Parts: sequence; C-alpha cells; structure tokens
Amino acid sequence: MLKSILAIALIGAFAAPALADEEAERQAHWAELKQAVFGERPTVDAAGLIALEAPKRALDAALVPITVTTKPGADIIGVTVVIDDNPGPLAARVTYGPRGDPSLLALRVRVNQYTYMHAVAETADGALHETAQFVKAAGGCSAPVGAGEAESLAQIGRMKLRLGEVVAGKPVEAQLLIRHPNFNGMQMDQVTRLYTPMKFVQQVEITLNGERVLAMESDISLATDPAIGFRFVPRAEDLPGKLKVTVRDSDNTVFEESFDVPASGS
Amino acid sequence: MRRTGLALAFLLSACTSTPDRETAPEPDGFWTGPMGGPVPATIEGGTVIDTATLAALISEHDPVLVDVGPTPHKPDNIAAEAWVPPPHRTVPGSVWLPGAGAGELAPERDAWYRGWLSKLTGGNQATPLVVFCHPDCWGSWNAARRAILYGYTDVQWYEEGIEGWQDAGHETQAVQPKLPPP
Repeated sequence: MLKSILAIALIGAFAAPALADEEAERQAHWAELKQAVFGERPTVDAAGLIALEAPKRALDAALVPITVTTKPGADIIGVTVVIDDNPGPLAARVTYGPRGDPSLLALRVRVNQYTYMHAVAETADGALHETAQFVKAAGGCSAPVGAGEAESLAQIGRMKLRLGEVVAGKPVEAQLLIRHPNFNGMQMDQVTRLYTPMKFVQQVEITLNGERVLAMESDISLATDPAIGFRFVPRAEDLPGKLKVTVRDSDNTVFEESFDVPASGS
Repeated sequence: MRRTGLALAFLLSACTSTPDRETAPEPDGFWTGPMGGPVPATIEGGTVIDTATLAALISEHDPVLVDVGPTPHKPDNIAAEAWVPPPHRTVPGSVWLPGAGAGELAPERDAWYRGWLSKLTGGNQATPLVVFCHPDCWGSWNAARRAILYGYTDVQWYEEGIEGWQDAGHETQAVQPKLPPP
C-alpha cells in the first residue's frame, strides 16, 4: 500500500518540469509518508509544542544523535520520528504511559542520504503536531559491518541505565543503552561480501513497578547499540522502585533487565 | 561539554572536503575491494572535476551525466510496509545506471553499460562524459575508468558526487534507475 502510494508520488515527480523543484518533491514525499503512518489525520505545525534537534551535518551517518523535546506539561501521549529518505523511514514510535514524561526523547539513528527528519507529537485530544529538520548525512544505512557490531553481538541484550537525580514527583532523566548490533539487512560484511541478515530491536517497553513509562516500536533506522534518553516521574510510593526494561528484536528474541531506582539522590 | 563536542564535529565535518584528505593510489585495472573508503586523486586517461567545473560544464557543454550510485539493498524478510525505497536524488539531467561501478562486471552487465554510454553519446566517443556517485566511493572511479577503456576520450570523474553537488547548494532531481540485467 505504501509502495503504491510512493509509486504515484514518483510518477508525479517525473511529470514535473525538467528543473525539478526539489523542495516541492521532498514535501510531497513527506505527505505520502505521513499518510502511510497516520492515515488521513491532518497534522498541524508544532508551534513550540515539539522540537527536533539534530546535527545539520553529521560526522558519522551511521550514528546520528537526535533529541526530541516537547513542552513540559503539554498533554502528549506519543512521539513519532520519521527519517524521510531512509529506506525504512519510520525510525521510532513512542507511546507514553502514566509514569512517563514525554518532555525528552534522545535516540541515535542511521541516515541514508541528505534528508528531512520529522518528529510528530500526538496530544491526548488526537491532534498531531509536526516539526522538521534537514540533516546532511549519507551512507549510514549501508555502512559496513565492523568490529563494533561483532562486539555488540557477543554482548547482545546487555543493558546499562544511567539515572539523573531522583526526587519523588519530579521528572528523572534516564539514559538506556541496549547492546544489540541492530543489523538492518543493508550492511555488507567486508570479508564475506555478503549482506548480514536483518536483526534489529523492534520493541522496547519500560515500566516502573509494573506501570508503563514508555513503549517504543522501532525499525531498521536505529543505530547499532540502541540508546534511548527519556524521562519518567516516580511518585513517593514508587520509591525505592524497579525500572524494568523488556526488549524484543526482529527474531522474537526477548531481553529483560531490571534496574533499582533509589529512594532519592542519584 | 556535549555542545562543544558537537561544535567540534561540525568543524571537523566542514573539513572533509578539503584537498588534504586521505587518498589512495590508482589500482591496476579496477578496484575490487570495499566500495567505500579513500579513493585516488587522479584517474589515468580522464580528468577529475570539482563541483564548480561540473556546473560550468553543464551550462556550456551539455555533457552526458552518468550516476552510478547503488540501489539500496532490500533486506531479506523485511515487512512490505516497512520498506520504502527513497527517491534517488541526483544531478538534474543524469541517467542513473546502478551497478556500473562494480569491481567486476559480468559480460551481460558490461554490454549493458557499454550500450547505455553509446546510446547517450549518440556513438560519439568524444562527447564529454561525467561519471559520479558519492564522495569516497570507488563505484564512480571504476565506472569512469571503464568508460576510458571503452575508448571515450573526454571522461570527467566527478568524485564529490551527489553530496558535493548538494553541499554547493544545487538542486537535485529524483530519477528512476535504468537497471542492469540480473
């Protein structure tokens, strides 16, 4: 379905005059992607509700740090990140639970070619708020598999969590690192000259004492060793508590880890 | 601290297109190693051109433009709805011949590439011919070298490729590939 939509978009592009209007073409591509992801639901300009920070030019296209911030207190239930010109454009779809705080989402992604990236926040009233950033990086999706991936594979599923200061009722900053090669199926092994089969993190669920902080669906655009920067808000009765992370990859392998959240401090 | 690192990254990346970056010697024949990496600064029998020269060439001499960038490799088993091959953006007017820069070309593919060049130049081997893909990609070097060996006498290797073109602020155009035989 997405393909046929895309085919129509491409035909449209060819009908354009000889000097392509690149910007119009890019906007048309985004419009088609948006429809594939959100259906007929309209989006509105972010207008300060959501911001996307990404390097305008990335040194390593296979490891591009991006940060999505949303207005504190806005009634946001989910955040979606789309990398328009990646062959797997839907990078992450995050849904927040009662213990989650959508004010921050930090990820590391692969970028295939110079592209717009979009971040879309969904508010509880069902409205979609979009913002965009143009990123100059190329080749990140087909960057060869190297020693780093071998190490990630050897330690697959290991996780690390760094916590900021813990105060009941206040957002706690957290950085989760998941060891996983996140093979996207487009990377050639330079020794065997074969494409390494796809194996990537598809779902991440984070809970605090059994209550959802966030759930993320991801695709082949996340970088090797997926990292997720996020915030959660513990209540006094949640502390000390357990932050549990459940990861499922595209081979249906499940990795779980629990982390202690202290009563206070960091 | 993090901000400083980022600023430094910008500075470093701004330097990647300076002439003092790492280059490789010209191989005998074609390059059959990994396609990405340092490439030669020269091409025997042809000319290396930069973006400004290409822009001038396009406006004055209407060269044949050949983009040999690869098609993205579709992963096995990927869900149909997850795979959206992105528009291939190239220098306007280019013909996209993915695979023409491989280290080794099977006879059918060699004939395919040879045939396209002949068609695009109208059989005139003195036609200015520009070959490119991405920066630091051997594909365009191989494909340019191949054209030289076919007998083309005005082969221009545009090493900076599509990203160099975009970095200079030029527009791109989305095109469909002329696919090689399987």
